[in-house]
Parts: sequence; C-alpha cells; structure tokens
Amino acid sequence: MNTITFRLKLKHDEGALVRLLGLVRRKRFDVVSLQANASTDGSYLDVQMTLQTSRPQSSLLPHIEKLLEASHVEMIESGESGREVRAARIAS
Amino acid sequence: MKGAEFLVKALEHEGVDIMFGYPGGAIMPVYDALLDSKIRHILVRHEQGAALAADGYARASGKVGVCMATSGPGATNLVTGIANAYMDSVPVVAITGQVATPLMGTDAFQEVDIFGITLPVVKHSFLVEKSKDLPRVIHEAFRIARSGRPGPVLVDLPKDVANTPGDYQFAEGDESAAAPAPRAESIARALELIRASRKPVIYAGGGIGMARALDAFRAFVEKTRIPAVSTLKGLGSIPTTHELFLGMMGMHGMKAANHAVQASDLLICIGARFDDRATGKLTAFAPHAKVIHMDVDPSEVGKLRHVEVPVLGDLRQSLAALSIPVECEPWRRECLASKKQYAWDYDAPGTGVYAPGFLKRLSQLAGPGAIVACDVGQHQMWVAQHFDFQRPEHHLTSGGLGTMGYGLPAAIGAQFARPDACVFNVSGDGSIMMNLQELATLRRYDLPVKIVLIDNHALGMVRQWQELFHDKRYSEVDLSDNPDFARVAESMGIPAFRVESRSDTDDAIRRLLAETGPVLAHVVIDQEANVWPIVGPGKSNSEMLDEVRG
Repeated sequence: MNTITFRLKLKHDEGALVRLLGLVRRKRFDVVSLQANASTDGSYLDVQMTLQTSRPQSSLLPHIEKLLEASHVEMIESGESGREVRAARIAS
Repeated sequence: MKGAEFLVKALEHEGVDIMFGYPGGAIMPVYDALLDSKIRHILVRHEQGAALAADGYARASGKVGVCMATSGPGATNLVTGIANAYMDSVPVVAITGQVATPLMGTDAFQEVDIFGITLPVVKHSFLVEKSKDLPRVIHEAFRIARSGRPGPVLVDLPKDVANTPGDYQFAEGDESAAAPAPRAESIARALELIRASRKPVIYAGGGIGMARALDAFRAFVEKTRIPAVSTLKGLGSIPTTHELFLGMMGMHGMKAANHAVQASDLLICIGARFDDRATGKLTAFAPHAKVIHMDVDPSEVGKLRHVEVPVLGDLRQSLAALSIPVECEPWRRECLASKKQYAWDYDAPGTGVYAPGFLKRLSQLAGPGAIVACDVGQHQMWVAQHFDFQRPEHHLTSGGLGTMGYGLPAAIGAQFARPDACVFNVSGDGSIMMNLQELATLRRYDLPVKIVLIDNHALGMVRQWQELFHDKRYSEVDLSDNPDFARVAESMGIPAFRVESRSDTDDAIRRLLAETGPVLAHVVIDQEANVWPIVGPGKSNSEMLDEVRG
C-alpha cells in the first residue's frame, strides 16, 4: 500500500473541490486526510491531501495537473506504508 | 440584450453555424433568440441524438460540435453523447438550460444537477450563475473543447441568467496555445532507439488525426519505411491500402498486425493510449519491445505500459524530427509476407450475404471519399476490418465508450459537415433501435445518408461471446422478433429494400449509391456469423482464435 501527500492550489470555482475528489475516487485512491483552506480573498483553496492506494502515484498526479482549476501541484511525501490505514473511501 | 441573445451572438462569434438540439422549458429563452440568428438549428427527436450528431459533425468537420437541451431529462439525455465525446476526445460544447438560480437546490420541476452528473465525463464544465460571466464562459468553453487533447465542455445556463439584460461584450484573447515542441533530449533518445532497432513497428492512434499531423505522419512512414499498425481510431492515418500498413491491431485485428507487434523490438506509439481492446493481456503485450510514446497528453504516458522514451508535445514536430531512413529490410519483408499470408479470404461458403464481403464491395464501389459512421457490435468490427479508409475523419466510430446507437445521429452530423460526401451509417439490428427515432430527422432534412442495416436477428457480438466463451449459454440475445425494418423506414418516408442473397450484393450497393435522398438497405445475414479473428478475454494478442471453415 502506497501513501502520498501532496498539496496544490485550487481555483475556487464552481464544483472545483468536488471535481478533485471525484477524480481521486475514480482513480482508486482513498483519502487519509484532507485540508482545504480558502485564501484571504476567497479566490483559491490551498489543499493538502494524503492518499492511500495500491496504484502508482503516476496514475493520479498527471490527471490532477490537467484540472483547469489546479495549479502548483507539489508532492510532499511519497512512500510505501507498512500498514493500511483505515482510509475514507469516497465511494460507498 | 438578454443573456440568451448574447449566448447566441457569442456562438456565432465562435464560428458556429449549425447546432443540434431539442427545446424545452428552461432553455426557451435561447430558442427564442435563435429565431433571430444565422445559426442553423437541427431539431433531432431525442437529445442523445443531438449530442451524438454534434460528435459526428465535429469528427467529420474538424470543428467544435454544439448541442443543446433543456434542464432535467433533456440534460440527462445528453449524457451518453457527452461521455462518448469524452472517451474519444471529440470537441463538443453542450449547452443545457437550468432552472432559475433561486430554484436551484429545491428539487424544482425539471431540475437536475447536470453539472455534478457530468463531472467525470467532461473536459471541463461551467455553471453560469452570474450573467457577467457569460462572455468569458462561452469563449473559454470553445477554447477548452478544441485545445490540447480535445473533449466535451458543458455550459449549464439557469433560466434567470438567460433572461438577464446586460451590456455584454465578446471575450477575446487567451487563445489556444499551440502544443509545445518536443524536448531535444527526448528526440535524441528516440532516434537512438530507432537506429538500434531491427524489428520496429509503428502503432498509430486517433491522436494523429486530432493533432492534424496526417501529412507529418505519412512522411514519417515513407521516410522510415517502418511497418505500421493502427488502433480502431487510428484507421485512415495512412491509407489502409498502403503497402506498409499491416492492419488494425487488437481483439479483432489482422493477424499480421498482431504478430508484428508481438514480435517487435521497438514500438513507436503515436497518439494512442494502450487501450485494453488494442493490447489484449497487457503483461503479454509486445513482450520484447521497447516503447517510444509520442503524445500531447502527459497523463497517458506510462499509464498502462512502461515507456522507455516519452516524446511529449506537438506530433508534427516530433514526427518530422524522427523521420530518418531505418535499416530493417529483413523485418519489413517478414511483415509484408505475413500480411500476404493472412490476407482476408472473401470466398465464404453458402449463398447468403457474407457481411465482410458485402462491406468490402461497398468500399470498392463507394470510392475513397466515403464517410462511414458505425454503430457498435459485429458490424463495427467488420467495417474496421474490411472497409478501406483514406483518412481518419472518414471513419466515425464509438471507440472508447462503445455507444450502441451512435451511428445514425453521427452520420447525420457528418452529412451536415460534409454535404457533398457520400455518408453511410452501417448499423446492426440491435444498435439501430437505440436511436431509430432519428430516421425522422433524416427525412425532415432530406439528408442523403445511406443506411446499411446488417441484421442477424441477434445481439451478435454478445451472442458470439456466449458461443465462444460461455459454453453456448445464450442469454437475452435473440432479436428474432425485430420489426420489418424496411417498412419502419418507409413509414418515415425513407425508401428501403431488403437484401438476402449474396448474388444481389452489387445490385443492392448500386441501388444505394444511386439514391439521391436517404435510403435504407436491410441486409439479412446468418445469425451465427462471427467476427474473426478474435482474442479471447484475458488472452494475449498472440493467442488469436480464427474461423475454421469446414
């Protein structure tokens, strides 16, 4: 099981966060933690996510970079975790 | 000017001269504005037909296709067409009416969250909550749909925004950026691999046509003289009659094509995505090959297959930089001998219509400029195998989503895009029923689309799989209670005739070609006809099953 932590700036447009989370779900990543803070002027969200997956990180990050609302996508930490965290599956 | 009036002006400003749609409550302001517009609106009979016609129009014209529907069920009926455009990277702008903003979230009549529903199947989407955003949104929607890797964009327009007066001005600027040039280092590494290769194969995908890189691709093939195979969507990238073209690869590919890929030591993948229908069992796909992957979309590189050298960016520049003579004459001869050895044999037993032979003859008599819009199933694969295509935009097929019902509306869109072209819809008895109502659209606009309905009284592809892979346990595939399709067509004012004997093939095709308006040929074939060869589920492309003729 791999764990990755990354951050990005997300333009605070209609549905941007839902679009990001939907992408995470479709690519079969589970959310371990998620923090999203609006910028002072409200135009951006600063997002930091830790995700868990059995898939390579390359199956998600290039797709996040393609989101028109996303910028400054930056990997903070990546590695194999010794155990599986009981992560939140966005899907039921 | 109201928002709806501006929307129509903005569409004109973006170069739209035709759109496909169906009116309803929430979109009425836009339909009112259309009355004063130069844009030709094509009234389909179901919104899915609008989305698929816009898709067919976009593929055949190279322009952005536009479709429109009202809120609620009108919008949800577009979804399959939007998903189809997404999976095949087709530039479409879909405009939906929405209930007025104060009603949104109240479960109002014909309210549905189409923005949310379509999130996974759009390149991008907009909900226009403020009328001041309308100019920017429309301009952005077209720019996004056609730029980079194309795709569908949704614009959801609440009724009160459509009715809001304002001093709207066209948005300008921020035009589509050209694809970046490939990195010199990537080109140098790719050249090294090409020079070192003794068994190279070109694997051509639909991205070549989308990138308008046809000339550069053909020059690349001529210069390198490397044998080429294609995906379903790559057909026509070079003429399928070209001596170096070995055929379509994959599940129903030519044996020569699959054998070449499996034996290759270098795979030059151009605008393709290692789709499972093309690769078969991925771990056994091209097991000896290093891979050069040329694409505009970085997210496709390494997604399914390890790539030694990614070459990202403008295909035209990449292809030009890699066009060198390649010394692989023994391999070339081996591939061409294999192509000859496994050439199609049209001499099938029996006297009934042999679908591959019928389609081959159709291709020969229709000539090189014909456009074929397929549905999905056995007939789709027979078209891919047996029709000769000179250009990719002559072959409209639902490759990614596999949408039964795609063909007829796509043919309508293509005929509007290319009024002088000979446009066929090759369909099956399962698929045609999925959008049969669009026969009325054909008649309404008197479009000379020629429908070849290949009828085996079954859901043929599913029946074939049940025969081959489910111990002949046939489950819900029998369509022997089909209507009389010729009479159905005639009831909608479309001349139709039935073809049952192989000896009638030429006469039937000539009758189709002679018709100046829409026409339907109901071609009856054996229910047990199968598509050969086939790679079974989970199998490698080296393990193709073929027909045994007794």
